[in-house]
Amino acid sequence: MINSRITEVEKLSQNTSTIRFKWDQHAEAGQFIMVWVPGAGEIPISLSHLGNEKGITVRSYGVASEALIKKREGERLFFRGPYGRPFTKVEGRKLIIGGGSGMAGLLPLIDEKSHGIVAARTKSDLLFHDRFPRGHVTVVTDDGSAGIKGLAVDGLKGLRLEDFDVIYACGPEMMLKSILDRIRDSGVRAEFSLERIMKCGIGICDSCSIDGHQLCTEGPTFSLEEIASMREFGVTRLTESGRRIWLGKH
Amino acid sequence: MGFSHCCGELNFMSILGTEIAGIKLENPLMLASGILDENGYSMLEILKHGAAAVVTKSIGTTERSGYRPPIVVPLQDGLINAVGLSNPGIDGFREEIKIASSSGKPVIGSIFGSSAEEFLNLALRMESYGAAAVELNLSCPHVRGFGTEVGSDPLLVEEIVGLLKSRLKIPVLAKLSPNVTDVVAIAKAAEKADALVLINTVKAMAIDVYARRPVLSNSYGGLSGPAIKNVGIRYVYEVYKETGKQIIGVGGISTFMDAAEYIMAGSSAVQIGTALYTQGKGVFGNVNRDLAEFMEKEGYRGIKEMVGVAVK
Ligand SMILES: Cc1cc2nc3c(=O)[nH]c(=O)nc-3n(C[C@H](O)[C@H](O)[C@H](O)COP(=O)(O)OP(=O)(O)OC[C@H]3O[C@@H](n4cnc5c(N)ncnc54)[C@H](O)[C@@H]3O)c2cc1C
Ligand SMILES: Cc1cc2nc3c(=O)[nH]c(=O)nc-3n(C[C@H](O)[C@H](O)[C@H](O)COP(=O)(O)O)c2cc1C
Ligand code: FES
Repeated sequence: MINSRITEVEKLSQNTSTIRFKWDQHAEAGQFIMVWVPGAGEIPISLSHLGNEKGITVRSYGVASEALIKKREGERLFFRGPYGRPFTKVEGRKLIIGGGSGMAGLLPLIDEKSHGIVAARTKSDLLFHDRFPRGHVTVVTDDGSAGIKGLAVDGLKGLRLEDFDVIYACGPEMMLKSILDRIRDSGVRAEFSLERIMKCGIGICDSCSIDGHQLCTEGPTFSLEEIASMREFGVTRLTESGRRIWLGKH
Repeated sequence: MGFSHCCGELNFMSILGTEIAGIKLENPLMLASGILDENGYSMLEILKHGAAAVVTKSIGTTERSGYRPPIVVPLQDGLINAVGLSNPGIDGFREEIKIASSSGKPVIGSIFGSSAEEFLNLALRMESYGAAAVELNLSCPHVRGFGTEVGSDPLLVEEIVGLLKSRLKIPVLAKLSPNVTDVVAIAKAAEKADALVLINTVKAMAIDVYARRPVLSNSYGGLSGPAIKNVGIRYVYEVYKETGKQIIGVGGISTFMDAAEYIMAGSSAVQIGTALYTQGKGVFGNVNRDLAEFMEKEGYRGIKEMVGVAVK
């Protein structure tokens, strides 16, 4: 287990913070670390800041993430990694689509030639919509409290897909499914970062698997073609115990 | 683009063919229980990469979430795990066996319980799902009331194996623990089994000195990988010599030499688990290829000729 002193904690909203720490290790956008909060748990978190002073941006959903956002400057951060296959670097115009905390891992990809679609349940859950070039972000909220009222896929209306060289997306699986269905025939290159339960991070426990591929070692980023060939994507997954459930039906 | 699948046609199959408990295997490599075998599609993928058979994750009567992460500690020469027997319960596992069985290769159902009746119920369900055999987990080192706590009681082991043998049509494999004082006594108690599987993980612990506490949420776990290979070799050798039973060797296998060592100690087939972490799924294709080459050069015409040759 690696550990490093936290150099800064920036509170972004009531339930979301960016934690910065020194880690002299090459890592790329799309990769993640397994963060251990002794006594609370160990969870996968994307690197939202690369370079020597790394960063993670965490939203509290439960026990471990709640304990993590309470960390202060000077305390130790325990983790292992970096893990996972990064996004492929593509030159040119990028369309970056992030839902909820999914924006965290997309942050390092934003540059002056990017356009963003940032989606969230409500205004206060929006993440990093202020990091895109002026006039190049489409905000979408479920409840209409900011931007367009609707789902991430609605943010595609009015954009010409041909204008982009690559689309990167990260968010809940059903959001990615609706985007996949919308763009799959457009011919635009796209990569999505998927999310599943992750217990080991090293490709042995099978909790993160989709169609025989382990998100933690072969993903979490996959190309549009790879995802389109997956029988389980947007359809079914295993719970913590390994019970098969069907998505969209609870 | 799509995914790259490995291996293509393996032309060294005939020399690698083997048999265990009456089950024909196209090569001696099986996937060990608990590694990439909870989801049917993962098992399919492992079979595509050259494993001759897979053993499922150990399944119990009721659904269990297992322990909270950390559930693994990666080490230099292996890892410690305490997954906590997470499983959907036997009712929820039919679909996964069905998916894995679409490969046409043997899928062996691993089960855990705390009494002979419980093992029997689970085994009958596995049989009805189409499992090629059942593997009894008598050896998980980190969950109270199961595994080693059952598997270190010779009378209970004898009762479980005896009952299952009298009621099942499919073969019964008994997986034994290295965490007992006298493994030969347990092996003899399990003598009615069609084959023995040796070894499960070795009880272990890792402490993070900066956090000043054990890393695993369960504190204790089981050590696997190269660190335990020579413990496994010794157990296989001793049990083969003392009982003459058919054995499946497991523990720290990641190269053809490790596999050959287990076979020469008395194993008719071997299982691979932790090497999937260090080498990925390509380990099955690589070990098969290198083992066939080794056998040809050393003048073996089949696995059978190599089984137990080192046992004096
Ligand atoms: C590759 C990868 C990268 C990730 N990167 C980030 C990141 O950069 N920032 C970040 O904030 N999170 C990220 N996550 C999600 C994060 O790992 C989970 O939020 C975390 O595991 C929750 O653990 P917990 O112990 O706090 O919650 P638990 O106590 O385990 O769960 C509490 C409740 O929240 C629900 N829940 C858990 N996770 C999520 C989720 N992701 N979305 C919605 N509901 C959830 C659970 O179902 C449960 O009901 C990532 C996940 C993956 C797989
Ligand atoms: C993460 C993990 C989970 C395991 N789960 C089980 C299990 O459910 N049932 C079982 O009989 N053995 C289980 N084992 C033990 C393995 O099947 C095997 O006996 C042991 O790991 C030694 O082999 P290896 O060094 O090739 O991994 C598990 C091992 C690991 C690493
Ligand atoms: S998290 Fe365990 S296999 Fe991916």
